[in-house]
Amino acid sequence: MQNLIDFLYRFRTFGLFIVLEVICAWLIVGYNQYYNASFLNSSNALAGKITQLSTNTSRFIDLKKVNQALMEENSLLRAQLANTNLQKVKIDSFENRYEVLEAAVLNHTFLKPANYITLDAGESDGLMPGMGVISDHGIVGQIKSVSKNFATVTSLLHPKSLVSITVKQSNTLGTVQWGFNSYLEADLKYIPRHTKLNVGDTIVTSGYNAVFPPNILVGIVNQVSLDIQNPFYDAQIDLSTDFSSLGFVYIIDNTAKAEIDSLTEVSDF
Amino acid sequence: MVRVNYIRQAIQFAVYVLIQIPLLYKSVLFNQAFAFFYLGFLLFIPYGVSRSFSMLIAFFTGLLIDVFSSTPGIHASACVLIVFIKDYWFIASVGDPEDEINIGFDSIGLWGLVKYAFPLIFVHHFMLFIIENGGFILIGSLLVKSILSGLYSLVVIISIGYLIAPKTQRK
Repeated sequence: MQNLIDFLYRFRTFGLFIVLEVICAWLIVGYNQYYNASFLNSSNALAGKITQLSTNTSRFIDLKKVNQALMEENSLLRAQLANTNLQKVKIDSFENRYEVLEAAVLNHTFLKPANYITLDAGESDGLMPGMGVISDHGIVGQIKSVSKNFATVTSLLHPKSLVSITVKQSNTLGTVQWGFNSYLEADLKYIPRHTKLNVGDTIVTSGYNAVFPPNILVGIVNQVSLDIQNPFYDAQIDLSTDFSSLGFVYIIDNTAKAEIDSLTEVSDF
Repeated sequence: MVRVNYIRQAIQFAVYVLIQIPLLYKSVLFNQAFAFFYLGFLLFIPYGVSRSFSMLIAFFTGLLIDVFSSTPGIHASACVLIVFIKDYWFIASVGDPEDEINIGFDSIGLWGLVKYAFPLIFVHHFMLFIIENGGFILIGSLLVKSILSGLYSLVVIISIGYLIAPKTQRK
């Protein structure tokens, strides 16, 4: 017994080293679950406040650029409004399924192998984990965790982000997943070889899950190849969202999400 | 026991770690090189301070950085490793000082500092990128990224170290 205690005492530093590294490993593995309520991320209240402070300073300097972006979006919205007025007949219940909330981006990364975005809106603004996030140019990601006033978003630039899409030209279903290469591109997967896929085709969300509404732009196909033994196309898209300069984003609140999810669950049995 | 100048350590914490937080993953060169200069605070913990104590400090410093980059555990694990090996490496690279000393320009000079700091910075960055990447795929590009980022961090750490060094020590 004495020997054991002596042994442990002699290796106490190494023991502490091992203990600390095991704690780290546990934290790393634990965080990889898709949704969680960990306080150890950027939506934690204190970290959010500090990030907000530093963002406010840099946003003041970027004010001109932000104005420009808002102007562009304004004109886009005006154009859309004009379009909707032209086609007065619409199925109302479908359109009203989605509510849109807005938030400013406090912090975002786009060069890491797994990227997250911090927003300045949280639970008190109606945000919930699992909601979809889009920008005025296309989809951005999905909310991972929220605190009272801040939220962390899993960016589309994350190996675990999968988006259900359709090819607009052929109405084929598929999946978009980011492939590490660059923040400008993503991989287009599971487009079966019997359909047509060309460079320049538009990729939009399918609306087949409860996260994103249909017809939100994801990107444009920029590279297509078809291996002789492969059942699916090997393709890449240019992402429409500019992940290097995110200013303001919109959060999609699907009011029918609970209903859809419960239905899917029932039919899974 | 080493006479730790706590005020100097506190200044180093403020300058290296607190300035790093708003610049985390933002000070990027050529989309390749990241500066993690908060490491300077850990590298300049005096030689001979209790290793367990400095490992705990490293753990919490790493965790603080992790909170801001949404990567719990990644920075902390790399920091703990660096602090664990830093005294051994100090003896191997600069020589056994046989007494506790502050690590800085006055004690080991610029070349000694480069010899001491760069391999440690490289190991830290390499470990960081490997864990972030989730494995050893793309190891070539990770090595390049680690070397470039390491050089970038080294330059920033040494420049800041020179700026905040007490006047009498500048030579």
